[in-house]
Amino acid sequence: MSLALIAALPFLGALLPGLMIRAGRDACAAVTGSVTLLALVLLALQAPAVLSGEVVQTRIEWLPALGLNANFFLDGLGLLFAGLILGIGLLIIIYARFYLAKSDPMGQFYTYLMLFQGAMVGIVLSDNILLLLIFWELTSLSSFLLIGYWKHLPAGRQGARMALAVTGGGGLCLIAGMLILGGIVGSYDLTVILENKELVQASDWYLPALILILLGAFTKSAQFPFHFWLPHAMAAPTPVSAYLHSATMVKAGLFLLARLWPVLAGTPEWFWIVSTAGLVTMVMAAKIALFKDDLKALLAFSTVSHLGLITMLLGFGTKAAATVAVFHIINHATFKAALFMIAGIVDHEAHTRDLKRLGGLRHLMPITFTIALLASLSMAGIPPLNGFLSKELMLEEAAHTVWITPWAMGLLATIGALFSVAYSFRFLAHGFLGPVRSDYPHTPHDPGPGLWGAPALLAALVVLIGLFPMVTAAWLVDVAASAVTGEPVTAKITHWHGLGAAALWMSLAAVGGGLLTLGAYPRLRAIWDATPRPEAKPIFDALIETLAAAARGVTDALHNSSLSRAVAAAVLAIAAATLWAFSGGTHVAGTRELLPVTPALVGIWAVMVIAALALPFFHRDRVVALVLTGVVGLLIAPMFAFFSAPDLALTQISVEVVTILLMLLALNFLPKATPVESRPVRRLGDAAVAGIAGAGMGWLAYAMMTRSAAFEPISHFHLAQSKPGAGGTNAVNTIIVDFRGYDTFGEIIVLGIAALVIYALSESLLRSPTVTRRLANVLPQREDGDRHPMMLVVSTRFLLPMAMMVGVYIFLRGHNLPGGGFVAGLVFAIAYLMQYMASGYVWSHARQRYDHHALIGWGVLVSVIAGAGAWAFGQPFLTSGFDYINIWPLEEFELATAAIFDLGVFLCVLGAILLALASLSRLAQRTGEDVNTRAFDINPADTAAEEVR
Amino acid sequence: MMSHWIIAPVVLPSLVAALMVITMRGDLLLQRVAGVASVLALNGIALALLWAATVHGPEAYFLGDWPAPFGIVLVLDRLSALMVALLAALALAVVLYAIGSGWDAKGAHFHPLLQFLLMGIGGAFLTGDAFNLFVFFEVLLIASYGLMVHAGGGTRTRAGIQYVAFNLVGSSLFLFALALIYGVTGTLNMADLAEKLPTLPEGDAALIRVAAVMLIMVFAIKGALVPLQFWLPGTYANAPGVVAAMFAVMTKVGAYATLRFGTLVFPPSLAATGDLLQSLILPAGLVTLVVGAVGVLGATTLPRLVAFGAIASMGTAFIAIGAFTPETTAAALYYIIHSTLATAAMFLVADLVTRRRPHARLEGTAPPIAQTGLIASLYLAAAVAMAGMPPLSGFIGKLLILDAFRDQTALVWSTILGSSFLMILGYARAGSRVFWKVSALDAQPNEPRPEPLAFTATIGLLVALAVLTILAGPITGWLTETAATLYAPDGYITATQLGQER
Amino acid sequence: MEALVASAIGLLTAVGIYMILRLRTFPVILGLTFLSYGVNVFLFASGRLTLNAAPIIGRGDTYADPLPQALVLTAIVISFGMTAVLMIMAIGGHLEAGHDKVNMAEDDDTQTDAQTEAQTEAQTGDKP
Repeated sequence: MSLALIAALPFLGALLPGLMIRAGRDACAAVTGSVTLLALVLLALQAPAVLSGEVVQTRIEWLPALGLNANFFLDGLGLLFAGLILGIGLLIIIYARFYLAKSDPMGQFYTYLMLFQGAMVGIVLSDNILLLLIFWELTSLSSFLLIGYWKHLPAGRQGARMALAVTGGGGLCLIAGMLILGGIVGSYDLTVILENKELVQASDWYLPALILILLGAFTKSAQFPFHFWLPHAMAAPTPVSAYLHSATMVKAGLFLLARLWPVLAGTPEWFWIVSTAGLVTMVMAAKIALFKDDLKALLAFSTVSHLGLITMLLGFGTKAAATVAVFHIINHATFKAALFMIAGIVDHEAHTRDLKRLGGLRHLMPITFTIALLASLSMAGIPPLNGFLSKELMLEEAAHTVWITPWAMGLLATIGALFSVAYSFRFLAHGFLGPVRSDYPHTPHDPGPGLWGAPALLAALVVLIGLFPMVTAAWLVDVAASAVTGEPVTAKITHWHGLGAAALWMSLAAVGGGLLTLGAYPRLRAIWDATPRPEAKPIFDALIETLAAAARGVTDALHNSSLSRAVAAAVLAIAAATLWAFSGGTHVAGTRELLPVTPALVGIWAVMVIAALALPFFHRDRVVALVLTGVVGLLIAPMFAFFSAPDLALTQISVEVVTILLMLLALNFLPKATPVESRPVRRLGDAAVAGIAGAGMGWLAYAMMTRSAAFEPISHFHLAQSKPGAGGTNAVNTIIVDFRGYDTFGEIIVLGIAALVIYALSESLLRSPTVTRRLANVLPQREDGDRHPMMLVVSTRFLLPMAMMVGVYIFLRGHNLPGGGFVAGLVFAIAYLMQYMASGYVWSHARQRYDHHALIGWGVLVSVIAGAGAWAFGQPFLTSGFDYINIWPLEEFELATAAIFDLGVFLCVLGAILLALASLSRLAQRTGEDVNTRAFDINPADTAAEEVR
Repeated sequence: MMSHWIIAPVVLPSLVAALMVITMRGDLLLQRVAGVASVLALNGIALALLWAATVHGPEAYFLGDWPAPFGIVLVLDRLSALMVALLAALALAVVLYAIGSGWDAKGAHFHPLLQFLLMGIGGAFLTGDAFNLFVFFEVLLIASYGLMVHAGGGTRTRAGIQYVAFNLVGSSLFLFALALIYGVTGTLNMADLAEKLPTLPEGDAALIRVAAVMLIMVFAIKGALVPLQFWLPGTYANAPGVVAAMFAVMTKVGAYATLRFGTLVFPPSLAATGDLLQSLILPAGLVTLVVGAVGVLGATTLPRLVAFGAIASMGTAFIAIGAFTPETTAAALYYIIHSTLATAAMFLVADLVTRRRPHARLEGTAPPIAQTGLIASLYLAAAVAMAGMPPLSGFIGKLLILDAFRDQTALVWSTILGSSFLMILGYARAGSRVFWKVSALDAQPNEPRPEPLAFTATIGLLVALAVLTILAGPITGWLTETAATLYAPDGYITATQLGQER
Repeated sequence: MEALVASAIGLLTAVGIYMILRLRTFPVILGLTFLSYGVNVFLFASGRLTLNAAPIIGRGDTYADPLPQALVLTAIVISFGMTAVLMIMAIGGHLEAGHDKVNMAEDDDTQTDAQTEAQTEAQTGDKP
């Protein structure tokens, strides 16, 4: 449990700063710091056990199905890193309290910092590589936030995005690598994996896994060729640079290498990839660091170089080298964090970090100088400081490692050391030595202990470890190194290895050469500035920008919101897929005997074909197009009737009439003609697409009609049960209102919703100024003076009551003969439509007494009640009952609850159509149409009077 | 035992909607109360159904008391119950946000239409009849048309036209497919089809394959599967933010239907169709994921970016669905839950931003928005979820899918991880543009709008994601059993008591 | 006879698709109407073709398959509602935009991200 708690504490702590900041910056820092301190104490409590060789474990089931569990374990390596993370974290929190300006949102800063700390502790304590992945990605996220902390700096935003891109991308590779690794071993638990070296290294998946995992580690630890993001991460506030980008996060990659060392190391692949990457990084970064003027840039590249050094040592794959790597991790953390804080102090005091503008600070800020002196000498590897100890051991290892040739490794390592001597001394010489200048942006002084305390503490460690390594560090190195190598390690760290030791001469060469290089600095700098170098950032930016531009280009080209393209693509895709599916299965033509061709149908067919074919050619005159559509639609009705579907015929006719009339009304608001826009080629292409679709469907229809269903159609039941079961002789109607009444329920609701949508849309149209302006310009077309011809008006007035009677009749007979609530509703609606056609929207609308919304609502309600009524009898929804009733003088008739449902249908249909009409007329009222108070324009009485005169 | 509760998710919203239209048309407050009450009730019902489905197994509801396959049956099983519960949960967030943000006041009939939409989607999840599925598709579609153009506006209306037109083509395809199925088999009941198709005469195989593909492509249109995804970006980007959030579950209707038909009616074991569906859906899913990820990086406005994020997540879901094995299906179900909540949350965040910004474009700068700190952190959380980064459920979903595709590492893994990279880039760019790169940092942000309900809804969704992450163990356990039942549909079929007189 | 009906279905579908591919809303709506004609007849045909066998119980001895007829009824009604909605949307689009084009224009801003990034960096200055 306690381990999980240690990992969880910083996350919990991340919640506090936001709250505490109200209590002031000191309280905020104090609380945040004490959380870290608590975690550190909890860790210290585990230390004795670990030092005595135990492995502390905490296991919490999370997602066993996947093998992702919240398992933690603490061994020497974990102890070392957790100690570094929490210890330095504590110092950073103190330092940041005094570093951040009043204007900086400190609560936010500490929140991000604690998030990062938690993620980092999580990595080093995870006993489950999937869990480790989660923390791994979290460090990328939190460092993204921390680098971008100063929002106003473009460098910050770009640096943050670059870091996220590189480390996040590496993280994705790591995911794959870890999943493969877990797959090989059959478990995602580190403790299990670490015991399966042979299994892993024997697997064919070893190399891919290794490469993917190394990609993750190298990106995180800024190893060549992924080193370029780290210097740009320096846009972050200095505490962040000191914490993430020197002491901890960039060491996560190294941690991973060390953690998986027992499983992955020891193969030639490992040696060549890892040690080479490390070596190249060490030398190259050290060289670049020498020529950086920005203190933080210099330190950044020096960090990269030292990370490379450690990577190289781990790459050697020997127990001794691994031990040295562990030791150097400790040393580097101490002196480099201190140096970053020094850089921060200088920046804070002198308002510049540019070495060209500094110098002579020794006299102005002696304390800072002392700390800087110790730390940078250690970085240079000058005895007796701790940097010297690990550097000696490193050189010794390098000297005895064969890489291409026996001496190449040693030579290059020495060169690397040489450069690091050079830039360390440059840091001192150009920064602190020399005469005091008069042109600092701001005259520096030693800051308060709040700022120099933390680096001073670290400098003290530098000296102590340097003087008494066996007392202060060896024990930690031992447990950590044993954890890395999996074998007991007892490090012997001494200052003097005897004259025979190659390292002695190598480091002498390095120091001498380094001083000479610094002496020749001006000339070297001239050469350096003269030689053109590829700059990482522009290249990376260009890369990302081209990627983004390409993405945008593709996306916009693909999704140019063109309906015609979408439909064409869909049709072709469907055609291709269905064709492919068809070819994949056996097809036997049907054997059903066909109906004889009758002239009547041929006639209907011929007219339909002509009208349909005419549409594409004559559709530009929209009235003509509408007429053609109407002709086709109306001709379908007799076809239905012909093929014994009277109900369909009835419905088709009435729906067709309503549709055409509605479209006619709608055409008042639309252009009357369609301009020619597409070129003939395109029209040809469209015709081809359409042809494919048509041919396919026609063929399918034929294939279907010429065969009998494989199984007896379920409709035999409906025919058999229509009268006895549903109490109606019209099987179609009984299906609609009873057997499949639920479909009808949905259907009328569709209609109701349609009306509501139409209403809502017309509402919002009426509220839009542009619309009302345009409406005002939509002049009602007057082909002749008589918009509302008297004959039409008179006849429609006659029609209204008659139509209603017909409607009622159709409604009542529906259950047994063609008809029903739906058609009845349509007939009613048509009757009303006629009034609109005859006397215009306004006149008719003015005479609409009742509320259409209510009609729809009641329609739905009635049908729901009719359906739910069955519940009262313990029957399921829409169960209908019926009985035969005698009321004198009427002859016996039947009453089915289905009729109530049908009533709901009727109401819904009527209401929907009327509401749609009403919405249209509300639009029409805004047009130039003058409100005609009379039913028709030309009153026969007037004309008669004229004739008399 | 036959409980009327199965049909409650359909009857309740329609009843409430009808009452809204009749009695509370003029009174928004009343509509809001009724809407919230209805959704709360729906949540209760959904949980009860979830419990019942888990304990009692599949259960059928015989409408009109007619025996299957002659009447229409609803079938409640673990999958349909899960989807209804997901729908209800999302609806709660959406209705609260709509009220809090005042979207529902910007046009007529928002609440009735939302209720009808819930009815349509719920009905689609519950029905056991192919044609009835069509009917409820139409119900949810026409309601969605109304919500899509809610509050009107030129571009929105014109985008609506495209949305409607394209989906009408889809509906026609649906009818073609159903007609063919009935013409060949003479039945429409899904369980009945499942029982009859194995004995289908050899000579009908080709036609039924055609029908199956047509049907799947209808669902692919709903699920925005390439090359049928063209309708989505324009629609989601132009719909009101809150409506787009609700639409996050509509794409899942396509996923659900694909899963249902692919396991019940056209299972891999069916001789006639065999691996037909896999060989279509899996590649399409991969392409969809890439198209979506590229879109996330290339999008020019925040809503469009989220729309492409939605496409990408559908791609991922369809990859997992398309393999049609119990393992991948379990992963798919987990991912579907995640993707619904995450996409919705992201759309709500995008809406919070765009309503505070002078323009929705990502490039160019704008003055800092009100409540920028809170909204930025909400964006971060939602983006993390959408990009499938830890610690939220997206990462777990991704791991589950990757793990389930061990045998196809090269293609599937590289596609999923590669597109994750593009999405990380895309969300990071967008976020740093919107929240960091403000024109004048010290300029006073415009007046903060107290929208407690809106923020509660958004945060609620993100909390749900966190819960989904923490309870991943038990949830995946339940989902694994659910997936198993899908591949052994005997329970589903027997529940419908085919052909037995009642 | 079946051939005639099948060919009619094919033709209606083809004309429908062709019209849907036009660039203005009104022809697109007509196209969708045609498509629904084709679909409805196809759906009807799934009950096969029969003469003088209306499914009215008691009239004659053989009956046409009533189920597809019922389904077509539902389909007709639904497509009617859809058409009506699309119609009002078309009107709205026309009144809002001043034209009735179906395809929408590209985004107004054509500047690439790189450009704007560069510009604003130039304004704010690249060095911290």
